[in-house]
Amino acid sequence: MAKTKKYNKMGSLQPNIDDILDWNKLPENAFEPATATEKESFIQERESVSYWKDAWRRLKKNTVAMVALVIIILLTIFAFAGPQIVPYTYKEQIRGSEALDPWHYTLEDQQKINDYIEEHSGSKVLSVEEAIEQARAEAEANGETLSRVEEAKIRASANVKQESAADTEITAKQAAKELGIKSKAFGYSNRELQRKAEGEDVFPHVFGTDDQGRDIMVRVMVGTRVSIIVGVCAAILVLLIGALYGSVSGYCGGVVDNVMQRIVEIIYSIPEMLIILLLSATLKPALEQFQNSGDGVLQNLVTLLGPNLISMFIAFGMLYWVTMSRIIRGQILQLKQQEYVTAARALGAKGGRIISRHLLPNCVGQIVTTTFLQIPSAIFLESFLSFLGVGVSAPLTSLGSMCSEALSGLTSYPYRLFIPAAILSLMILTLNLFGDGLRDALDPKLKK
Amino acid sequence: MRKYMVRRVITAVITLLVVACITFFLMNAIPGNPWLSEKTPTQATIDALNAKYGLDQPLFVQLGKYLGNLVQGDFGTSIKMQKNRPVLQIILEMFPVSAKVGILAILWAVVVGVPLGCLAAYKRETWIDSLLRVVCTVGISMPGFVVATLLLHTLCGGIEGVKLFPALFDGTPGSYVLPCLALGFYPMCYLSRQTRTAMLDSINQEYIKTARAKGLKNGVIVFKHALRNALIPVITYLGPQIAFTLCGGLVVETVFSIPGLGRYFIQSIQNRDYPLIMGTTIFLAAFIIVMNLLVDVCYKIVDPRINLTRGN
Amino acid sequence: MEQERKAEKLLEVKDLQVSFFTPAGEVKAVNGITYDLNYNEVMGIVGESGSGKSVEAYSIIGLLQSPGKVVGGSITLEGEDMLAKTANEMISIRGSQVAMIFQNPMTCLNPVYTIGNQLMEALRAHNKDVSKEEAAKRAMTMLEQVGINNVEKRMKQYPHELSGGMRQRVMIAMGLICHPKLLIADEPTTALDVTIQAQILELMKELQKKNHMGIIFITHNLGVVAEICDKVSVMYAGKMVEQGPVDDIFYHPGHPYTRGLLRSMPRVDAESYERLIPIEGTPVDMLNPPEGCPFAPRCEQAMKICLQKMPPYIELGENHRAACWLCVQEHMKSQQNENETEGSKNE
Repeated sequence: MAKTKKYNKMGSLQPNIDDILDWNKLPENAFEPATATEKESFIQERESVSYWKDAWRRLKKNTVAMVALVIIILLTIFAFAGPQIVPYTYKEQIRGSEALDPWHYTLEDQQKINDYIEEHSGSKVLSVEEAIEQARAEAEANGETLSRVEEAKIRASANVKQESAADTEITAKQAAKELGIKSKAFGYSNRELQRKAEGEDVFPHVFGTDDQGRDIMVRVMVGTRVSIIVGVCAAILVLLIGALYGSVSGYCGGVVDNVMQRIVEIIYSIPEMLIILLLSATLKPALEQFQNSGDGVLQNLVTLLGPNLISMFIAFGMLYWVTMSRIIRGQILQLKQQEYVTAARALGAKGGRIISRHLLPNCVGQIVTTTFLQIPSAIFLESFLSFLGVGVSAPLTSLGSMCSEALSGLTSYPYRLFIPAAILSLMILTLNLFGDGLRDALDPKLKK
Repeated sequence: MRKYMVRRVITAVITLLVVACITFFLMNAIPGNPWLSEKTPTQATIDALNAKYGLDQPLFVQLGKYLGNLVQGDFGTSIKMQKNRPVLQIILEMFPVSAKVGILAILWAVVVGVPLGCLAAYKRETWIDSLLRVVCTVGISMPGFVVATLLLHTLCGGIEGVKLFPALFDGTPGSYVLPCLALGFYPMCYLSRQTRTAMLDSINQEYIKTARAKGLKNGVIVFKHALRNALIPVITYLGPQIAFTLCGGLVVETVFSIPGLGRYFIQSIQNRDYPLIMGTTIFLAAFIIVMNLLVDVCYKIVDPRINLTRGN
Repeated sequence: MEQERKAEKLLEVKDLQVSFFTPAGEVKAVNGITYDLNYNEVMGIVGESGSGKSVEAYSIIGLLQSPGKVVGGSITLEGEDMLAKTANEMISIRGSQVAMIFQNPMTCLNPVYTIGNQLMEALRAHNKDVSKEEAAKRAMTMLEQVGINNVEKRMKQYPHELSGGMRQRVMIAMGLICHPKLLIADEPTTALDVTIQAQILELMKELQKKNHMGIIFITHNLGVVAEICDKVSVMYAGKMVEQGPVDDIFYHPGHPYTRGLLRSMPRVDAESYERLIPIEGTPVDMLNPPEGCPFAPRCEQAMKICLQKMPPYIELGENHRAACWLCVQEHMKSQQNENETEGSKNE
């Protein structure tokens, strides 16, 4: 009895054996040895998840990254499928549809507004369209046709008149407000409105048109496409060159590595944007000459891309791969040091397993992330250059050059700048966010 | 430390040399000659001009001469923008405005960005952190011209009744505000993000565990132990940001019509004033390289792991 | 008698349960740990990596990081419930009453502050009225106590200028500068050379006697345990599988895992032909811990019951107990025998 008492003092966890045995009537064979198969089936092993599956699972849980991915996909569809749907092209100048706002008044409303303005101001202020129509009619009466230059002049003077009228008199906007007329979404020219009234199917100018009558939406689509293509190509270029340089440097080691790393160090400290500006400034004439020198495949390629884009790619190929090469060199060096990998192989460990367990998680994640994040930074750079007028050359357009074109008319047509700017920022933002998500998902260090 | 410094300076000099050579050879890759784009001159005039500017000599002689001149501060003379004026003179006249805007921009980026990053790290996984993260990610996703035009449009009369700052740059303190804001926005967001990452990295270090085990207060742990360690890598991000800001200046100066070197550089590219392009490129590159060098040296000084080994 | 026992009890941990709430699910890192520690006593916690020994120590000092959380049980230090303390109260307890030193002295000192700065900071965090000069003096005394010479110079040095062993001495000095009652040492010698290890252990023993502290010594090195500990808890997969005085554990291990550990340890007194025997297999997945004994799949003597039920603790001797069905079997047999003899007596 004394013995049991001592047991009870020893912490509350000490159960009464007899109790336990009473509660759970132990099976008769409880104390027989377990077989190997029983032991094996006992371990409820977690479903072994591969690296990619695991990364995908983590990525899926990252709401922000997934939303970003959806937006990226939508933008890509917008950029690549959009121009197929819209019946206008990016360089087509639609006559009679110049400088449309992305909204319109119906014909009846326009009439009402004009009447209202007339009523309140006495003198009739012609809208741009009307002034041109009038001039055209006059010219036709005289047996001439209205040249573009003249048309532009009339447009300008009508604009000035309207604006000066706006100072003293009532603008269409105010009139519409007074009359309680609301503008309708999308831009239509009056002619298009008439055609529409006649039952024709007219595709609206969703974002309006520019001064030359080009549909802004199509131009934005094409600009987005240019941005995406530039980004992806630059990323691939950087990956290829960086991987090649880094692996050669890491694999050779010794003097070669040393020299190559000094070169990297120098390239690293070259201010790359200046060099790109310089390249596009100087290569342009050279490439233009080349372009005009014949009709070969290369020449056509140059024509297609434009000299500025080519100099940009050259700059990417020359300067932007250093980070990538450093990552890859580091990984190769690490692998070289891991003699035990070779040793393990010699002893019969499966090479595939070593690679999938050690090399891939350490290396591929970083490479994929760096490559992917190169896309937004290339888009960023392209827009920067295009904005400065040394990016994509006309007639091809890009979001940056659209912004630059819109800068002069910022007060009258702010949307012409802000629509491409918003799309551009949205694209870079979502790419960055998804890249961050990718990094979090692929980085095994963050694995918990 | 001394060995490092020497190596770093040598690298900088070589980099500068490489930039100068790239510049030189690119200029020579231009077909024809600089006189062609004007009214076609006679062959005699071209020869005379070539002789005057030494363009009739072999390429390497020209390069040597060019480098020699550079060292002496002779950047050549402008051939279009301000005909026959020495390039260096033009640069030195234009640069102070750009530098002023740039320095102010970097200053506000550091003064605001670093504390915001600390705040985000300190309040991590709260709404403050999320908000800052959204703002900063948006910030690094907006090209400089978007920020600049957005500011210009919203604060300079684009919205009715709001006209806080002059839309055109006139040298008054008020007209510096928007360019500096626009120029510093990207570096601010970038630094803030980097500071947050560095802080979180620092917070996960073992010495923070020690500090917690010592019974230090959270504030002391974050602001004494984590911050000092986090700031060291943040300094390294400053170098590239200075270069970036300088180049961003090109855009901001164009948008705000600031009579600085950046806008002039763009104009000279559009006008193909090659000596001016070359001179400005080399000048800006030298500036960026020297800045990077200084930042690197600062980094080594701030980090006691290097600093004290020199002492002993 | 009862009073005295209470007085000498420093730390009481009862049925402690700590879980990590990971995206993949709840991981029960510590699942029901019970022990107590007296003043002047050194307890070793032994187990392989991932067995939950560090987590258990962190929860005592309140350093558990999210997503880790104490989900059950109690921790009592000198009669005070540690789990009921607020975060601020825990801050004032850390360092002054409970101190902790860590495995890697290379990374545990802040590289950008001097040794002196970090030592004085530890002291002044808890004694605000100590002047700077006084703090420096005490810090230097402390450094001398842990066997560092040339203290004045050392105070002004940065961690990277000291050797590993020296840094661990500094860590110990930092832990003890406020004279804590309990010191938790999380593998303090693992990262050091064998000779330095011995010196550090010697130093810790000496300081423990001087300051009458209780020490919880976490390690996976049984040799270290034999050197310094009075009693030992053996942990496996978040559970305490055996606990007892150090001699009992070494000479009469009750649990097959403890026996496996001992067999896999190199010994000086072993016969030359004796081979080390590793424990086969890998630990169980803590995310889906099985119903039965977690060691069963690796246990050579596993029985059917082992795979179905967690065994209860069985006393094997004074303060020596183990959780193993083998012990239960033994116990039942002995009880049966007792009953039989009693029964036969009755007859």
